[in-house]
Amino acid sequence: MADYYAQLLLNGVVAGAIYALFAVGLTMVYGVFRFINFAHGELIAWGAYLTLMFSQVLPFALAVVPSMMLVILLGIGQDRYIYKPLRQRGRITLLIASIGLSYLLRNALRLIWGSDLQTYGFEAARGLSFANFIITRTQLAMVAAAVVFLGVLYGLLKFTMMGKSLRAAADNMDLAEIMGINMRRIGLTVWTLSALFASAGGVLIGMDTNLEPMMGLTNLLKAFAAVLLGGAGNIWGALVGGLFIGVVENLGVAFFSPGYKDAIAFAVIILILLFRPTGLFSIIGGMR
Amino acid sequence: MLKVEKVIKRFGGLMAVSDVSLELGAVPITGLVGPNGSGKTTLFHMITGFYRLDEGRVYFAGKEITRVSPHVISRMGMVRTFQHTRVLPFLSTRENLLSAVPAQRGERLTSLFFRPSEVRREERQNRARAEEVLDLIKLAPLADELSGKLSYGQQKLLELGRVLMAGPKMILLDEPTAGINPTLIRRLAEVLKALTTKGIQVFLIEHNMPLVAELCDRVFVMDSGNLIFSGTPAGAIKDLGVIEAYLGRADHAA
Amino acid sequence: MDYFFHILIIALVYTVFALSLNLELGYTGLYNFGHVAFFGIGAYTSALLSLAGFPVALSMVGGMALAGMTGALLALPALRLSGDYFGIATLAFGEMVRLFFLNERWLTKGPMGLPGIPRPFGIQAGVSGLPLYLILCILLTLAVFLAAYRITHSPFGRALKVVREDEFVAQALGKNVFSLKVRIVAVGSLLAGLAGALYGHYITYISPSDFTLNETILVLLCVVLGGRGTQWGPVLGSFLIVFFQEFLRFLPIPVDFGRVVAPIQGMVYGAVLILLMLKRPEGIVPEYKV
Repeated sequence: MADYYAQLLLNGVVAGAIYALFAVGLTMVYGVFRFINFAHGELIAWGAYLTLMFSQVLPFALAVVPSMMLVILLGIGQDRYIYKPLRQRGRITLLIASIGLSYLLRNALRLIWGSDLQTYGFEAARGLSFANFIITRTQLAMVAAAVVFLGVLYGLLKFTMMGKSLRAAADNMDLAEIMGINMRRIGLTVWTLSALFASAGGVLIGMDTNLEPMMGLTNLLKAFAAVLLGGAGNIWGALVGGLFIGVVENLGVAFFSPGYKDAIAFAVIILILLFRPTGLFSIIGGMR
Repeated sequence: MLKVEKVIKRFGGLMAVSDVSLELGAVPITGLVGPNGSGKTTLFHMITGFYRLDEGRVYFAGKEITRVSPHVISRMGMVRTFQHTRVLPFLSTRENLLSAVPAQRGERLTSLFFRPSEVRREERQNRARAEEVLDLIKLAPLADELSGKLSYGQQKLLELGRVLMAGPKMILLDEPTAGINPTLIRRLAEVLKALTTKGIQVFLIEHNMPLVAELCDRVFVMDSGNLIFSGTPAGAIKDLGVIEAYLGRADHAA
Repeated sequence: MDYFFHILIIALVYTVFALSLNLELGYTGLYNFGHVAFFGIGAYTSALLSLAGFPVALSMVGGMALAGMTGALLALPALRLSGDYFGIATLAFGEMVRLFFLNERWLTKGPMGLPGIPRPFGIQAGVSGLPLYLILCILLTLAVFLAAYRITHSPFGRALKVVREDEFVAQALGKNVFSLKVRIVAVGSLLAGLAGALYGHYITYISPSDFTLNETILVLLCVVLGGRGTQWGPVLGSFLIVFFQEFLRFLPIPVDFGRVVAPIQGMVYGAVLILLMLKRPEGIVPEYKV
């Protein structure tokens, strides 16, 4: 019996690692630009679908490259043409615009690839078993990739000049600009990283589940729950949040009907917003 | 009328307001002065319910208001303005004034649908009062302009007008003369003096020292969150602690 | 002619839906992205009650009441959140309600939906009942429009605008911001429930896929395009969107391409939202002449 739960836990960690990727990308944009990019989910979905398309002509491992590059262009483009002009207008305007963009991108996806489920067509991988768990090769690859990405991010933030500038900008955008930090470059870096992580995560999750047009939105809400858990703007908090959501979701299947699996993330969102809107990891005081 | 007892407000490790106690009621106009960052506006926020106190109590007209919501405090008769004008730019001058009457009949849904004549009557009364206030602050010609189009000084007067519409017992003004020209300052001073004849208490944060000396019979001085002086304006000018607060400590070289 | 009646009825349903959202979003500044939940609650409640044998008119009132109460209950905790967080929380709530409709098959028959919903006042199902149903819709829409007008052109409406513009000033002026918000969400949810009930009894078959994020975006578009914070804006927006949707059906599109209509429609709506925010955020009917 404990094995059953342990297996669910393992599944949860695998899923959580991917959610962590999504959440980190979302929270980085929030940290610097102070708004939730609703279209982040579509970056995930487009990453997955473009890889599907390129994998018709390229080996899978290579197919991810052009698809990620295109998604990065998409990420930078959405900032340049839509979000940047609206930055002064207030968070609600940005939110509505990003909802509109996400609707546009989601329907473009449906237009091109249709509403049916798609898959990468890997053979049902046989699991490697060790101890009493079963972990498939795909799942191993997912976790490994996630770890690599996050590790590189850690190195970037901690040891490079760009990383330090990013942290400064997240802390105080105006002050960072006065100190001479090039905000254009920061913006480019943030959107590149965000899109990169989103598309990579999209491919990874596509390896384990089916592709369908709503996958962007579903994963966005999970990423958002993770961002909230960790405190909006807090990168490592988002990581832990992602893992938490993955684990709770998968363990929850033991108790709730599977149809409500996605609702777990929603419930987390609502609960956090009601009881600890600043997340589990931050300390803020101030005006009522 | 107002009693503040040992109130403290911390932000993280910073003591914004540190153990301040004061009482108002003896004189009609009281001033609150001090260098920038001394905690004056923070104290106002604490008194009017916008900030939660970390320690201490506040009493108004005999009732404790320490944990009371800002809108309730406003309805009890303590009305305030903000440091930078906060008129509602997309409402007209008149609408700004009309919205300032605290507890209107027409703000209750049941009254809207089931007691329309009472709502109409009260609205008529409020409109008449708004006309009076418009005359007092001399903004009648601009009554239907969007208040965002008024000059800064006119907006400050409008804020004062709003405060008057609320029929207050006590008003707290946060730097009402900042950034406005001398003529408007005169007008404001006249309005304030006229108010006190109606028994309204005024508590005033100001940097304009001559104005404070002219209007206030009593003044409190704050520095770095502490209350360092309480007395007449004349006395404040001579007090060593006050001078040091404004000019900095003399450097006692060995 | 029947088809024209159909379009009008749908347009009127969406007008009520949009007017209700406009009260929250346009006048009070509350970005309720889960508004479709109350549309759905109104529809399902009214359908279930009438299928259980209650007179349809009573069922519709029941649907409105439950929608309004749920709205008030949601509002109590959710309104402590600031603008965009409130938007996300309500969106999550909307999705949870849809999942509820989908999973609680014992009540809602899940994805199968509820067929055979009766029409009120003995109006016949099917095409023959259309003219009478249209008259019903016109009357109800008019009533809702007038009620909304009364609310917005009153001290209550003025107080809502103050809350929308500056909550701190609202409090300093003695307005109980929280109470105002809860009340307007209750009213908005109640009216959305009415729209949902009107929808359900018209289409006579509802399923969870009628109450998704798509519908939220659609009604948001109606309000934002038409002109938020105005009385006629949501009316204009609803008619424009519904007529546009139906107009697309008349275009001579070869059968092979039939499946692209919906996604292209969606892309147009998304693009319109973006363009509106960039170029004319106040919508077609502006709230004030600048």
